[in-house]
Amino acid sequence: MSRKGEDILVKRYVPFLLVLPAFIVLFSVTIFPTIWSLYMSFHQYNPIIGKPVPVGWKNFNYILHWDRFQNSVVHLFYYLLFGVGIEMILGITVALLLYELIKSEKIRLLLLVLFIIPMMIPPSIVGTLWRFLLDPFSGVVNTILSMLHLPVVDWFGSKMALASLIIADIWEWTSLPLMIIYSGRVSLPQSVYEAAWVDGASQWTILRRITLPMLKELIAIALIIRFMDAYKFIDKVTVMTQGGPGGASELPSYLAYLVGAQQFNMGVASAMTWIIGLGSIIVIMLFVKFMKKVLKSQKIA
Amino acid sequence: MSQKRFSLIRTLGIIFMITYIVFIAFPIYWQLNTSFKHIGEVRKIPPTFFPKHFTLSPYINVMNNPMARKSIYDSLIISITTTLLSVLIGSLAGYAFARYPKYAGGENLSFWMLSVRMFPPIVFILPFFFIFNNLGLTDTYFSLIVMYFTFNLPLSVWLMMMFFGDIPRELEEAAYVDGYKPFRAFFKVTLPLVLPGMVSVVMLCWIFAWNEFLFANVLVGTRVKTFPLVIPTFASGSSILWNQVMAFTVIAMLPPIILFIILRRYMIRGLSLGVVKG
Repeated sequence: MSRKGEDILVKRYVPFLLVLPAFIVLFSVTIFPTIWSLYMSFHQYNPIIGKPVPVGWKNFNYILHWDRFQNSVVHLFYYLLFGVGIEMILGITVALLLYELIKSEKIRLLLLVLFIIPMMIPPSIVGTLWRFLLDPFSGVVNTILSMLHLPVVDWFGSKMALASLIIADIWEWTSLPLMIIYSGRVSLPQSVYEAAWVDGASQWTILRRITLPMLKELIAIALIIRFMDAYKFIDKVTVMTQGGPGGASELPSYLAYLVGAQQFNMGVASAMTWIIGLGSIIVIMLFVKFMKKVLKSQKIA
Repeated sequence: MSQKRFSLIRTLGIIFMITYIVFIAFPIYWQLNTSFKHIGEVRKIPPTFFPKHFTLSPYINVMNNPMARKSIYDSLIISITTTLLSVLIGSLAGYAFARYPKYAGGENLSFWMLSVRMFPPIVFILPFFFIFNNLGLTDTYFSLIVMYFTFNLPLSVWLMMMFFGDIPRELEEAAYVDGYKPFRAFFKVTLPLVLPGMVSVVMLCWIFAWNEFLFANVLVGTRVKTFPLVIPTFASGSSILWNQVMAFTVIAMLPPIILFIILRRYMIRGLSLGVVKG
């Protein structure tokens, strides 16, 4: 009997204690910046010129009607749809193919290392490397295209600049879903597959009915991580295009960075980061809700 | 019939894999290719597909640069500390969220933790510059470790929560029935099963800390210098010494690759005992 009471006590307080360190760290680190930037978003403030002056909602109003910001949101939409979308599909496909097709442990290790190398190169260097490869005059990609008698592409012109950024991003970050899904696939129990083979299920059925459903939480978290990071990245924009030509590849957080770190307009920059951050939170919240609905409906079925 | 279709899918799969391998490998090859060229050959148009005069001098120059050597050492200290802290604290919280969601603070708490990673980093950089400046902590390992730890923790908590959630609870309960204490059951039963997942968390945390530029640029730079800060210094006058930049990034890629190869041992199938997921 006393054993039972002890269990309840453990259940009640141990989980709380386990979460406590993470909570304390995150809370103490984020509380000041959160308050500071929220305060600044309602003020006009340039640390070089003077003290913060309250301006109400003016900063938000200004940003939402600023055409450069509106355009950057459209760019971000394309960027997320094509960049993150292709990264997820490629990552999942390659991870599963790697597991199914290659049986030798050594070759698997070799390929896996190759596939995650792009992630290990600093993003700013990935940007410079692709800038180098795609250079319209001296870059190797256009050299190969002209050797094959194909038309060369102006990779950093106003039509292709955003696409070039997306290509570099796909190259670098497909590794992330790939690695997560691969480690998930490796830890799936073998016995389920053996049972399916005994039942004579086809490869396609196994993929659709067993592998993907069992991996869907990991797929969701990989998507969330990629979404969050792609949503606010700026390093490749800084290195490859500086948002140009003529703002054709500007993204919202790059604008926030320009306004904050180069023009020192803290008020507008803080307001912009709040708009960007809240946008991200809302999208992810809706996605998590959707996931839960999917999980629930499958449990009932 | 079914055999034939199967082999068709197989062939398509192999073609797909080869295309992907070329796509990933070519820029890496170009990086290596550039790092073995003399600077005159790097600037040549059209570029050469193989170094005409193979040279190791970019590597030797980089290795003889004391600032470059020191920066690798600094990066190692910061990345190792950050990764250990993030994975340890993240696993504790992740385990609690996965097993006892209600008592651990619930979804709101775990979602709030994740939301820390959703704000553009510029939100944190400026306030933190002021704080660390007032505390006299700019240009220290501590300032960067705190920042990277904060940004890695949400990811670590969430991924570990998912990986722990995948391990059927019945396994632990079976261990209790066998007379294991919860602590021992965790180390003997649960932990080995989440190791493959933990390896990817270690890698992600390491990579973030290893490659980060923005925070490092603002918070450190004189006494402490991480390696991404050193890269722009490989220039003579106004022109960039591409061969040295590429040689240095090749050297800087080695620690994460070695780490991954070491950890790979733990990525092999965790569940080979034939346990059916509950």
